Amino acid sequence: MNSRIPAWWSTGRRVLWAAALAMIAASFWMVFARAPVEVQMGAVQKIVYVHVPSAIATLLAFGLTFAASIAFLATRSAIWDSIAAASCEVGMVFATIVLVSGPLWARSAWNTWWTWEPRLTTFLILWLLYGGYHVVRASISSGAKRTVSSVLGIVLFVNLPIVWKSVQWWRGSLHPQAVTMDQDMRRVLLFSMAAWMVFFVAAFQERLRLEALREASEMES
Amino acid sequence: MTLGARDIEKRFGHRTVLRRVNLELLPGEVVLLRGANGSGKTTLARILATVLASDRGTVTFEGRPVRSQLRRARRSIGFQSHRPLLYLGLTPLENLDFFGRLAGIPEAGVHARRLLGRFGLEEFLDAPVERFSRGMLQRVSLARALLPEPKILILDEPYAGLDAEGSATLNDLLEEARDRGAAALVISHDVERVAPLVTRECVMRGGVLEDGSMDQATA
Amino acid sequence: MTLFHVTAKDLKLHARDARFLATLALFSLSLVLILSVAFGPLFQDPAREASATLWAALFFAGVLGLTRALDMESESGGGEALRLTGADPFAIYGGKTIANFVLMAALFALVLPCAAVFFDVGNLAVLPALAGVAALALVGYAAWGTLFAALARGLKARELLLSVLLFPTLIPLWIGAVKLTHSLWADGTIEAVRDWVKIMVVMDVLGLALAAWLYEVIQEAEE
Repeated sequence: MNSRIPAWWSTGRRVLWAAALAMIAASFWMVFARAPVEVQMGAVQKIVYVHVPSAIATLLAFGLTFAASIAFLATRSAIWDSIAAASCEVGMVFATIVLVSGPLWARSAWNTWWTWEPRLTTFLILWLLYGGYHVVRASISSGAKRTVSSVLGIVLFVNLPIVWKSVQWWRGSLHPQAVTMDQDMRRVLLFSMAAWMVFFVAAFQERLRLEALREASEMES
Repeated sequence: MTLGARDIEKRFGHRTVLRRVNLELLPGEVVLLRGANGSGKTTLARILATVLASDRGTVTFEGRPVRSQLRRARRSIGFQSHRPLLYLGLTPLENLDFFGRLAGIPEAGVHARRLLGRFGLEEFLDAPVERFSRGMLQRVSLARALLPEPKILILDEPYAGLDAEGSATLNDLLEEARDRGAAALVISHDVERVAPLVTRECVMRGGVLEDGSMDQATA
Repeated sequence: MTLFHVTAKDLKLHARDARFLATLALFSLSLVLILSVAFGPLFQDPAREASATLWAALFFAGVLGLTRALDMESESGGGEALRLTGADPFAIYGGKTIANFVLMAALFALVLPCAAVFFDVGNLAVLPALAGVAALALVGYAAWGTLFAALARGLKARELLLSVLLFPTLIPLWIGAVKLTHSLWADGTIEAVRDWVKIMVVMDVLGLALAAWLYEVIQEAEE
């Protein structure tokens, strides 16, 4: 990796962060000022505007890790490994948000903090697995680190559909299958998704940048 | 068959261990590699033996990159290192028989028995290797490397722990290998023991490989 | 043939390490005992509790077995020599997987009667079907376990990592095993839960397919 971060990245990232934070602030405003309060659950239902985008962001992040891992094994170019790792870390953050916001919602909707319903269970498994990815990555200092991480990035992702399916079979689904929402809610949700996607990109490139800087300093010494 | 290193570089963390190393092993050669501890000799040996990958540069086998013909190259290389490269729970015969069969040697057991006999281990064929002394372990390890009669030998401190008899046997086998047209790279501090067979000499200094003649034997 | 030589070699090495085998056996039995105590003394649903106990014990004992197999390769560089013979990596993987399967099967044969007796469940009639379920589960365990073990080699906290990674990955397989075993012990048939067989087969095939694709890459990653 080039030890000099290109100029457009340094300027671009400030713009990106500004946009992300602005959009998130805007989405929060929309959630509280514009989105109608749901009849049954009250204000707590609004967690969905964070919960759903986070869930989507998590899956995107781990999907990116998967793709980047394959790219690394095919090209052996370190940048792909850095992308995989950065994406995985951001994914973990979002997965944590899902696991924290979910129970908060569940407590209000189903009167229990945790239930072994499929999506939450699958996310817990995901969280454990990708946490393992990071632990493994941190434990290896040798040249094998990238290869092992990439293999893990592939193996863990490939497994997801089966984990999902089997957890679904294991326990009937209490989780809302489709988010039934009216027009206003849908609009707020879509905007929230967009806001969190921008945040995702901002966090991701920040993490990638950190990784690049660290590699550069290691190479130069 | 030839084995070569072209512009090999290797770093471990912040430390550069090998800098642009170039080396060619040609049939009939016995190349002695000397150098101070930590100069990178073992790392070079491991890279040539395809145990380790270099950061830059290529290892060539018969002129072509070894990575594109890894299995074929490995069948032709006999590697002996600091570690025994054996299964401790198996006997010497079982070890050699196993590795021999995997290398595709017909009647591996017979050859193994004979080779182990040459190293003076006839009486120890049925004892698990974990009970062996260092010298005996070294002999089994050498036998393992030499069993397939490889065209290329990479031996890292082969004389360590060997008594006079063991050294003599090793030298006989090296000579036979050389006469067979094999190429050998020998890393050793025991210059006197290997001297009769050496055709060329190199010295590793701080990760850089230099040609050396037998006269500059100070290192 | 490489495959069978590798399997034979692994099994020979295991057989000679009596101390380890004894430890493994005792550990498995302790797990069964602990869980029996936790569920007992009066069992509410013996078939279910026995099934859970059986498969939980097998999972953790299996991790020990996998780690031991791994250590046998690295302790004196036998694994490195194996790699250097130029043998087909997938054959090496296959050989190790079969050996791990055999070890797991032996553990199963040990733990099954204990669980059955402690919880007072089961009968000989369902034994063949039970063996089938075990085969499905343990093939998957061996396949994925050998793959992950190769990844974890050289790491200090090998057992920990293996457990942390292996268990979530194998959840589909293990749920299936528990459900099918429970069904056999409770109803004598798997009719109600036969879909789980499909998932287990998919897991087995997926594990082997991933190994076929990636094992060589893993093997070549430097330690």
